[in-house]
Amino acid sequence: MSENPTHVGLSEALKQGKAEEAEALARQALDEGSDPLELIQTVVVPTLTEIGRRFQEFEIFLPELMLAGEAAKRATAPIEAAIAESGKGSASLGTVVIGTVANDVHDIGKNIVGTLLSAHGFKVVDLGRDISPSGFLDAAEQHEADVVAMSSLMTTTRPAQQSTIKLFEETGKRGSYKIIVGGGSTNEQWAEKIGADGYAPDAASAAELCRKLLKGE
Amino acid sequence: MLGNWLGEIVKRSDSGPYMKEAEFEMALSKRTGELVKAHGLKFNGQEPVPSDDEMADRLYEAGLELFVDLGVYNQTTERCIRFSRDEAERVVAAAPEAVTLGVGKDAVVMRHRGVESEVPCVVHSGPTGTPCSERYHPLILQSCARERLVDCLGAGSVSTYMGQAITPGTPLEILASRRDAGVAREAVRMAGRPGMHINDVAVPLTCAGKMAAIDLGSGLRPSDALLVSQMVEMKTDFDQLSRVAHLQNVGMHVADLMTPLIGGLGGGAEGTAVVTVASHILGAVLYSASYHFMSHTHLRWVNNTDRMGLWMQAMVGQALGRNTPMVTVNDIYTVSGPGTDELLWECAAGAVVGAVCGMNQQGAGATGGYETDHTTGLEARFIAEVAHAALGLTRGEANGIVLELLSHYEDTFDEPKRGMSFPEVYDEETVEPKEAWLDIYHQVRQAVIGLGLDLDGGWKKVRYE
Repeated sequence: MSENPTHVGLSEALKQGKAEEAEALARQALDEGSDPLELIQTVVVPTLTEIGRRFQEFEIFLPELMLAGEAAKRATAPIEAAIAESGKGSASLGTVVIGTVANDVHDIGKNIVGTLLSAHGFKVVDLGRDISPSGFLDAAEQHEADVVAMSSLMTTTRPAQQSTIKLFEETGKRGSYKIIVGGGSTNEQWAEKIGADGYAPDAASAAELCRKLLKGE
Repeated sequence: MLGNWLGEIVKRSDSGPYMKEAEFEMALSKRTGELVKAHGLKFNGQEPVPSDDEMADRLYEAGLELFVDLGVYNQTTERCIRFSRDEAERVVAAAPEAVTLGVGKDAVVMRHRGVESEVPCVVHSGPTGTPCSERYHPLILQSCARERLVDCLGAGSVSTYMGQAITPGTPLEILASRRDAGVAREAVRMAGRPGMHINDVAVPLTCAGKMAAIDLGSGLRPSDALLVSQMVEMKTDFDQLSRVAHLQNVGMHVADLMTPLIGGLGGGAEGTAVVTVASHILGAVLYSASYHFMSHTHLRWVNNTDRMGLWMQAMVGQALGRNTPMVTVNDIYTVSGPGTDELLWECAAGAVVGAVCGMNQQGAGATGGYETDHTTGLEARFIAEVAHAALGLTRGEANGIVLELLSHYEDTFDEPKRGMSFPEVYDEETVEPKEAWLDIYHQVRQAVIGLGLDLDGGWKKVRYE
């Protein structure tokens, strides 16, 4: 972690979920000449990874994670704008379209995964809950997703993950995206059975899984 | 106050303040945190069963304030349904303090119990949150229904219909709902207890599917119940409220189901306790519930037998026991599964806390629902024996026992012992526990007797005196 006082302040503001302060410090760091890409890679991502670890270890709870996620959104907006302006490419590790499958209204687990994926540097498009197979397909195409992530809590809604993958196959789009599954009713065997590219038992593993899949590991 | 004010609830669902769901969640988290501080609520892992009446009362006040300040989020209309403090207090005060469950010789009266109460717990069982296969579901239900200390049965959930995956909203959901209701009815009949209360059929996810379980001949009856769910946290929708409308009109029990997550929107144990008290008020005000199932779980381990889960159960039970007439039930969720001694230690801890802190019992949700068919009637028998033996304990005495019980299982949470499935621990012909599972039961039973709980005499006292 950088010892630059503004960078340290930004990291602290993110940890404490202070959105306005985090945005102001991000702008200040850019004004002071910090490289935007480096700011993301050396300050924002490591800080949010640490917050994610603390959440995973039950040292902090969902409210703190949500506040940190909100602060991160505010802080990264000006940094991403600066990256785009500089033409240096994107700070994002990739785009993940995420949602809870058709007929399933349980979305807190999916929300946590979305927050942690953002924290790890992915661009997350959260479709919400009760998403039809075509809803996932349309969103994947529209947002040029790298990963499609489907959550299902109930054993009775789990088959919708299979139907969604089937639709991607039938439309010839399966090869364009990595598709991962998670949620209380799923496991490794189920993921294999339906032809998913991966399964994650919790939010931290989901971030790691996406990273590995996009690196081709 | 109207007896049936669903019309008013629909009106407020359409006229209440609009809010995006994420904003409601953020507001709930923030307000809960403020209330925890303002009311000085403090979790202490060394005291899973606190003996602090004042803190219990402060917790109730915090929950009531949360309910009044935030209201309930209607996901259908994306608006908050708000109630005044006076409205909430009036409805809570008028909540039933005793309900008759089941019919004829098999009927039981489940009561508001209060703190350190001598009123016996009513014990619900069935595959709580644990998925079953079509093949073993009937046997699992029979194993629970035939346990003499089990008072009520839940039908649980099977995810296939004749081998075909059940998609909600399709004809298969209706067929599966009717099949599972019939299987539960047959299980209580085969146990010689045809009037036993059935508390839910869990497979359907839609209002139509739930209602399909009602069948005076071979399904659920007015003496039974169906669950009406809250979505985490403090949320409902018109599908759930429509279930209330139908159940009220056929004179059937509404069982309010809440599933608060420790580590979730409420934060830690204290905040989740505040949310859970508010959720009980929601169940009374919006659902006119006969009774309330508290199915709180740890966000990571999906159990409530850890220190935070037990503390929360103890405090919410006391808060409601001291400040409302509500009839409450604690769902015991464990990380361990059948065939392990840890499952029984976990069940014992949940049963002691529930019995001493004013709640009735339901269990067990073995393996946190991770493993199919990992649930049996034997753990329900054990819950009942422990709960009956714990009657009359003070909270201080219960605290000592619970700390000892915790020492037998809490180091397994990160690598849970999921145990074995039903056919591995039960004889499929006789529907009796196999020798190995019975041996473990007897060993743990003796050890618990050694802690001072009279498992031999407790239930006899409840049944015969």
